[in-house]
Amino acid sequence: MIFQELAQAIWVSVKVSAAAAAIASALAVPLALFLSSAQFRGKRWVLLINQTLMAAPTVVIGLLLYFLLSRNGPLGMFGLLYTQTAMMFGEILLILPIIIGFAYTALRQVDAKARLTALSLGATAGQAGWVVIREARFPLLVAILAGFARAISEVGVAMMLGGNIRGYTRNITTTIALESAKGEFTNGVILGVLLLFLTLGINLMVNLGLRSRD
Amino acid sequence: MAVKAYELKDIRFGYPGSRFELEIGGLAIDAGTIAALVGPNAAGKTTLLMLLGLLHKPSAGAIQLFGQNPWNEGNRLFLRRRELAMVSHNPYLFKGTVFDNLVFGLKVRGISEKEWKAKAEEALGLVDMSGFEQKPASGLSAGQAQRIALARALILKPRVLLLDEPTANIDASLVSRIEALINEVNSRMGTTIVFSTHNFSQAFRIANEVIYLSEGKRVEYSHENYFSGHAQSDGRVSWIEPKSGTKIFFPGQFSGHLTCVISPGKIKIFSDEQKKELAGPNLFAGKITRLEMAENDLALVRVAGDLNFRINLPLQELKKKKVALSMQILVKFPPEAVEVIK
Repeated sequence: MIFQELAQAIWVSVKVSAAAAAIASALAVPLALFLSSAQFRGKRWVLLINQTLMAAPTVVIGLLLYFLLSRNGPLGMFGLLYTQTAMMFGEILLILPIIIGFAYTALRQVDAKARLTALSLGATAGQAGWVVIREARFPLLVAILAGFARAISEVGVAMMLGGNIRGYTRNITTTIALESAKGEFTNGVILGVLLLFLTLGINLMVNLGLRSRD
Repeated sequence: MAVKAYELKDIRFGYPGSRFELEIGGLAIDAGTIAALVGPNAAGKTTLLMLLGLLHKPSAGAIQLFGQNPWNEGNRLFLRRRELAMVSHNPYLFKGTVFDNLVFGLKVRGISEKEWKAKAEEALGLVDMSGFEQKPASGLSAGQAQRIALARALILKPRVLLLDEPTANIDASLVSRIEALINEVNSRMGTTIVFSTHNFSQAFRIANEVIYLSEGKRVEYSHENYFSGHAQSDGRVSWIEPKSGTKIFFPGQFSGHLTCVISPGKIKIFSDEQKKELAGPNLFAGKITRLEMAENDLALVRVAGDLNFRINLPLQELKKKKVALSMQILVKFPPEAVEVIK
């Protein structure tokens, strides 16, 4: 029974965090590509605000979404509070600035000549953008994995928006918080180590998969 | 009347945060010819090539490519770029193999994959690199990378080929092969070729037209404005002697055979009466032997004497100094105005 609950918590952690990382990456990488190649007024401020949001506390994001999603909140009619969907939205908000920040740095490091070379050989703007993303694929992967790691290891959003409902929204971090609150510190530490190994395994799989394709 | 590959009018372009600005009053390059852009570092050669390659948009003025303004094409600009191919002097090769690089242009044009292999082999043969298809692009030397970049452009059979210092990283033994290839591509396929170089003799050897740039502007140069000779140095300054009894001084220590260019913008003209007030190196006497209107309120002045010059000067300045044909004048330029080409 304990193992079933543990497996359920691991599954919730992986599913919600992976979905959040995938959606956030799909938004963040094109945004970072735009920021790295476009020049516009206020760009410095956009980057500064993004850097600030990279350090946003999870409970603040949790609290903000809690007000929006709670029964009397502006989005209360959707009934999303204490669901895995709410946890996912919260994690997207949490990791979006992180992936934008790291992806921006990764894309900036790709030689500006990569884009110009692609254009000079007849690529469309979209094809040239794809070339830049391909050239920066390893650092971009690090950006996405950093976002995933942040999502899977956070507890504030999962607790406030998921409610730590057993068998439904309880994930590894909320289980650790619960076990610690009960005074079961050994269980908490074991779960913490398990979380680290889980992240290590996912990082290894993604890296090996990408290298074998290269 | 010859078809113009390019017609540029009153072009201006500057990089954000940089003082450098390219200003080209007028420039026309006939289709099917070879044009060389010559000038010292930071003259604007690469920037002009980027404008010709439609990779930078001029901030003012108009570029016509085969009679049409490509910047009016909006989202279809890439179709006009597909008439061109550009090779930078320090080219960027994409990650992957040499083959991946060679076929990039074919891929984006949607050319059938069946044709890639034969075309890649042919292009590699042109640059003497057959058998390099599967080598990783990151392991190539600078010279090999430059030849692969050239092959990557040639595979596309463009109407216009833009080459930024095409022999800069190439071994001396292969320079003549690349020069012959440039001529061959031009004569066999009718490709218009514009290339930049520091090498005067290469420019005159290959090109139908030599365009000289200095400090972002097109300048009128003639053979009289550059000098070849044996340089000597006394440890502080150097000089060459293009004509018996005439020494041109310039800073630094050089010895051996050198070619120098004097920037026309730094040449000052004085009346003969001012001789007593003037002193120092690089002061020469001469006579105006030709004076005619040039573009943009400039006058072409030929001075014959100790040194022979053909330079453009603003009409206003000439009027102010009351310069007239057959007048004896003094020509002076600081040693810093002398640029060593090789």
